[in-house]
Amino acid sequence: MATGQGDTETEGESYTRRWEPRLERMKRGWSRYTEHKIGVVGLIILGIYTLWAIAPSVFAPHSADWVAYLGEPPVQSRMSAEQVRSLPHPPAFGDPFFAPLGTNANGKGILSLVIYSARNAMYIGLAAGLLSSLVGVPLGLISGFYGDTWIDEAIQRFVDIMYGLPFLPFLIVLVAIRGITTTNIIIGIAVTSWLNNCITIRGETLSLKERSYVESAKVAGASDTRIIFRHIMPNVLPISFVFLAQDAAGAVIAQASLAYLGLADFTANSWGIMLENIKSQGYIFSAWWWLIPPGVALMLMAASFYFIGFSMEDVTNPQR
Amino acid sequence: MTRISGTYLAKRLVVSYLTLLVIMTLLFVLLRSMPGSFISSMITSGMTAEQIEQIRETWGLNEPLWKQYLDFMINYQTGNFGRSPTYNAPVADLMIRRMPRTLILFGATFLIGFIIGPLVGMYLGWWRGTKKDKSIFSTSLLLYSMPSFWISWLFIWVFNYEFNLLPSAYMFTQFPEFQWTAVTVMRDVLYHIALPIMSLTFIGWVGAMLIMRPTMNQVTDEGYVFLARAKGLSERTVMIKHAARNALIPVATGAVVGLAFLIDGSIIIENVFSWPGMGQIIVSSVLERDFPVAQATFFLLAVLVVIMRLLTDIVYTYLDPRIKFGESE
Repeated sequence: MATGQGDTETEGESYTRRWEPRLERMKRGWSRYTEHKIGVVGLIILGIYTLWAIAPSVFAPHSADWVAYLGEPPVQSRMSAEQVRSLPHPPAFGDPFFAPLGTNANGKGILSLVIYSARNAMYIGLAAGLLSSLVGVPLGLISGFYGDTWIDEAIQRFVDIMYGLPFLPFLIVLVAIRGITTTNIIIGIAVTSWLNNCITIRGETLSLKERSYVESAKVAGASDTRIIFRHIMPNVLPISFVFLAQDAAGAVIAQASLAYLGLADFTANSWGIMLENIKSQGYIFSAWWWLIPPGVALMLMAASFYFIGFSMEDVTNPQR
Repeated sequence: MTRISGTYLAKRLVVSYLTLLVIMTLLFVLLRSMPGSFISSMITSGMTAEQIEQIRETWGLNEPLWKQYLDFMINYQTGNFGRSPTYNAPVADLMIRRMPRTLILFGATFLIGFIIGPLVGMYLGWWRGTKKDKSIFSTSLLLYSMPSFWISWLFIWVFNYEFNLLPSAYMFTQFPEFQWTAVTVMRDVLYHIALPIMSLTFIGWVGAMLIMRPTMNQVTDEGYVFLARAKGLSERTVMIKHAARNALIPVATGAVVGLAFLIDGSIIIENVFSWPGMGQIIVSSVLERDFPVAQATFFLLAVLVVIMRLLTDIVYTYLDPRIKFGESE
């Protein structure tokens, strides 16, 4: 790599030489990925959500502070009693105002709220999923490879202890101790959700390390680290990707569940909070335009994480 | 039998016990680091300082922390769970009353989910890549992505609000016109449990399927499956007897994962359907700082999970003879 002074041509050449095979492999991986329709569908959905998260004002008909009849803030006037009684308003297209998915009991546009909430869900899903994978996968591999030694024992006892604390109540306690903010919810979800990765990957590794190719690698003098990361990890990666996706999706759902129980940062916009509001204000059975969209949005986001995860599984699976 | 040595089992039992002790310690620390004290609900504005002091004395809050911890550990191991200030009843009675209700809900959904899930996973994994696999798989993922309280609302809407077929809350009819006999009690509970079980299993079975499908698919490439086919066994026999049995190993671990999922699911579902079980009081007790009750529910769920973990490790060795425990290589 240290080519001394900048001979740009050779440097450029070595650059292409190094990167061409990687690009080639990525291209092949991509073509394998696109074989799966659900993977592509998942990417498209997640792409839309990403756009929503980056620039909600482009897609939403109003800002998140818009109020029916009164319009964008700052508002001076107040609603008449007649107008207040008409809320939550079913979908309206221009008469008396434009709200394609109707409004909630406070006169906020449902479609705008759904779009503005994408950022929150995206952030929570990705952050919690990545955090818990980074902890769970290496620990599971190490624990499985050193199965039945003190290392495995220590990690498994730790997992046992964490497992003994039920996820949702434990999360409630954690959030109550640290305060209800989005960051604390993410940390709480990550702290409680890496266990599934760890335990499943340990089980797989336990079975894999008895296979003959691991034994032959051992005989050939490969170090433990090499066996774990070169020989065993490629075989558990498919499952670990599934778990990264599951954790991201689970985090989105867990956040909604917390909101349902009244534990959410109510200053933020989120689908869980929209659903909490419909429950606490008692419109579950009378305002379908308010009940359905946040749930569907949540479902599609979680589903897109699952779709992508399971398609990735096939790309990384060395057996095919 | 021979694969698990007695010493290994004894070791695991001791370790499980120690695990519980650590969990209890953790519980003690966690619940006491929550803001608010559980006697705050008993203190009203008209009380004098002496009265408050009296309450603190009664509930043992004036003891030094190490003494409280020691008392807690000893009491719990001798089955003394203390008294709940909000319910004004011994916690043990509360638990004994609520535990079976939750276990009914748990057991039924666990059973249904872990029968449907692996079966569907087996078929999908075996026929992986076919149109049938793709459509069923993506549909089940959509189901799995629904928040459980939201799908319960939809079920309540359809089955209760619109068509009035099934009750949406409680475990028994509130003011029945019939006599309580063994038969009517059974029928009434079944009638009331239908919607909660539907909502839970509607989502829950997918978890087991998700674990079964990829391992089933891996197993199809194994030599013994090839051999079984070469012997001329029918596709069905090969799938069920040879392939599925090996693919079940990760599902056994998944059962513990499924249990954790069920605990969360049932907490939400019990709250939605006002099911008077443990899931309902674990949330309310934490929020209302009723620490004796919260501690006991956490503790009992922990005991359940620790026992399940022990059983899984034993089941493991029966399913996969390649795994050896308690023997030095």
